[in-house]
Parts: sequence; C-alpha cells; structure tokens
Amino acid sequence: MQNNYLAKWLNDELTDAELAEFKKSEAYETYQKIKESASQLESPEFDVDKAWESIEQYKTKEETKVFILSPFKKFLRVAAVIAVLLAGSFFYLNTLNESFTTDYAENKSITLPDASEVILNAESELAFSEKKWDKNRNVNLKGEAYFKVAKGKKFTVKTTQGLVTVLGTQFNVETRKNYFEVTCFEGLVSVTINGKETKLPAGNSILTIDGNTTMMKATVNGVPSWLSKESSFKSIPLHYVMDELERQYNIEVVTEGIDTAQLFTGTFSNDNLELALKSISVPLQIKFNLDGDKVLFYAEKAPK
Amino acid sequence: MKAEEHLNVCEEQVYKRVFNETSKTIFNYIYYKFGNEEKANDAVQEAFVKLWENCSKVVPEKAKSYLYTVANNLYLNVIKAEKVRLKYADSTLKTTNETPEFIMEENQFKEKLDYALNSLPENQRTTFLLNRIDGKKYAEIAEMESVSVKAIEKRMHLALKSLREQIDGI
Repeated sequence: MQNNYLAKWLNDELTDAELAEFKKSEAYETYQKIKESASQLESPEFDVDKAWESIEQYKTKEETKVFILSPFKKFLRVAAVIAVLLAGSFFYLNTLNESFTTDYAENKSITLPDASEVILNAESELAFSEKKWDKNRNVNLKGEAYFKVAKGKKFTVKTTQGLVTVLGTQFNVETRKNYFEVTCFEGLVSVTINGKETKLPAGNSILTIDGNTTMMKATVNGVPSWLSKESSFKSIPLHYVMDELERQYNIEVVTEGIDTAQLFTGTFSNDNLELALKSISVPLQIKFNLDGDKVLFYAEKAPK
Repeated sequence: MKAEEHLNVCEEQVYKRVFNETSKTIFNYIYYKFGNEEKANDAVQEAFVKLWENCSKVVPEKAKSYLYTVANNLYLNVIKAEKVRLKYADSTLKTTNETPEFIMEENQFKEKLDYALNSLPENQRTTFLLNRIDGKKYAEIAEMESVSVKAIEKRMHLALKSLREQIDGI
C-alpha cells in the first residue's frame, strides 16, 4: 500500500487493487463511516453580506481618511521646508550685519558695541557686523551720519564712494549721489577716495562732488549742523541743497527756470519748512509755492 | 477573465470577485484552526482590509494566498484553539425509514467523530475539514498552509488514522 493511502483513498486515487485490499482491512468500515459522516458536516454560518458591509464601511472610512491625511502630509512637507529655510536664514542673518535705516525726515541714534555713537541723518543706512566687531570695527554707510568713535582699534566707515579710517574721534560722513563729504571735528581722520588717502585733521572737511575734491574748514570740536536741526551748505550746487530739503521734510521739490548748478551758501532749518523755504529762496531771489508735500521753486521773472 | 488581467485588486469588480470567492473559505479556515467564530470573522475583515490597503501591490492571481497569509499570521501564537463545533446536515428526512437503533448509533458515531476531530492537531483538523467540508483540493490547501501537497497528503492520512483510532478506541 502506498504512502498516505488514506489521503489517496479520500481523493479516489487508489488503484483498483489497492482499493480492494483496503476494503478487506478491518479498519475500512470505520473509515467509510468517517467519510460518510464527515460529508454531512457543516461549517458555522458565515454572513457574507455583513462581512462585506463592514469592509465597505472601513474602505469608505479609509478613503475619507486619505483625503484628510494627504493634504496634511503635504502641509507637513511644506512646513518642514519652511522650518528649514527659517532656521537657515536665521543663522545666516545672524552672521550677517546688524543694520539700521532712517526714512525721510527721520534721525536715529545708534550705540555701537564699543559704546561709539552714531547718529543717522534722514534716508540713510548703517550696517555693521556685531560678531566681528571685536576683530575689526567696520561699518557700512549709505547716506549721512555723524560718528563719535570711542578710542580703540582702527574704525572704518565704508561707503561706495570712499573709505574713512580713524582711531578715535568725532566726524561726519555724508554720501549722496555723486556727493561725498567728510568733516572731522576732533582728532584725525583718514579718508580714502578712489585709492587716494587724505589725512583730515580736526576742523577740516573734504568734499567730493562729481569727482572734484575740495578741502574746506569746519569748526573744531563742533558738531554737524544737522544735529542742531539745521542743514548748512557752503558753496554747494543748489540741486544738492534741494535734495537735502526733500530728505529732511519728505517733500517733493520741483524747480522751474532756475539754474540748479549755481552754488548755494547758507543754512536751512530742519524743523520749520516755511522758514527753510524762505532761507533758500530769499538769498537766491527766487519764489516758491508750497502745495501739500510739493514745493515749486521758480524764478521771479520767469516768463509765464 | 482576460480583461481582468490588466486590472489590479483596487478595481472594485476584481476586489468584490475575490471577496465572494474567498471570504467564506477564510472564515472556515480560521474557524477550523481555532474554533472561534468571532476570531474567524475578524480574520476575514482584517485580511480584506489589508488587501484593500495594499491593493496596488497585490496582483489578482496572488490575492488569495495574500489573504490566507494575512489571516494565518493574524493569530499566529496568539490564541489557543477552542472546541470546534460543527453541525451535521439535517439527515432526518433521508433516514425516516431507519430504525431508532440505527439513528442512535449514528448519533453516537457523530459524537465520537466530533470528539475525535477536536483531539486532532490543529493542522490536521484544518486540512481534513477544508477538504471534507469545503471540498478544497490538496493543492489548494497546500497553498493556503504554504506547505507541499505531499505534506497535506500526510496530514490527511494521519488525520484519518487518528480519527479512526479514536473512534474505534485503539
């Protein structure tokens, strides 16, 4: 009899000879009975519809879940990117320069890490690196500022038009379009313009307009006039004066029939527009018309 | 059928067909193993939910064995087999002309068989019942149990042998 013949028998795989032999065995009767009884066996009820329903329910739940989850995952992805960018820019900016800006008609007083003082005039920007301050005292300047530098290492003011280097002193730097002026009030200032270095002792001022450099006198131990709410000019082309007026009052200046290249010497107030306009117009014998935040300067005998 | 080859199980019609063909077998399979209807129902749900979740990864031809594997793994070493209770098809109609003695003997035999079935090792009982009740071929059972056809034949043989020995009191 072959291996597992009982299994073969149930499967009707026995040869006739084998089957005959098996039938002769005394156990055959019981096996036959088992086969017959087992054929009547039934498994427990299985509710197919109920099972399907519960799976369908789960599936729809899953699907709505997917709709909820996936945008959230997307959001998470975006959030992660933003977080990385924020963290990155935070560290980047941290190493970057500390910066201060002033708008039209605004002044700002800044104390540097070594207690040096800077006063920013209107529409100016000052930037410096707080981290590297101990190594080198460098500041970047756009516009105009008055410096009261504490004694110490070399202090450098970088502007697009020139470099001002000092050890400890008081000076004013003004850099506007094609206009660069440094006034030294105390100590000694070194000014480098286009690679040319000039030593500027106290009471002197260096001015570059459109590439022409002139030296002028200034008050020793004084302060720039704009600190006392005045703007002073000495033989400065009129359009620079007009520009300064625009910056100090946040107004728009228009001229008509006036030579703005003519030199102006004088002072105007930084907190009284009416007075300031008179200060400019009277000496030049021109007229002005103030309309809101627009000022028109026109020649007295201008043909209308 | 040809057209369905390109479809995956995520297609509602394929999924439903697999469900209709397989859910009852899975239920019975787990019930024969552990004798617990609730667990068998859970196994059906669990297996089909898993199949749905992974429908894109399971090709239709492999869906059945995937389901059996999930159902099988679900209670791996977790629950103990309980008594497997099986009913007998109502045979009174067929046996009205039988003597009361015969019917009594018949019932006694069924009781013995019932007891003997529960004494079988789980894998032998499952194999025997899947073959006898569900009419599953040895090859199919082999696939479900992840063993060879030879091994199933062996189980079947041993199952019958044990049942007979139990019943005859050997």
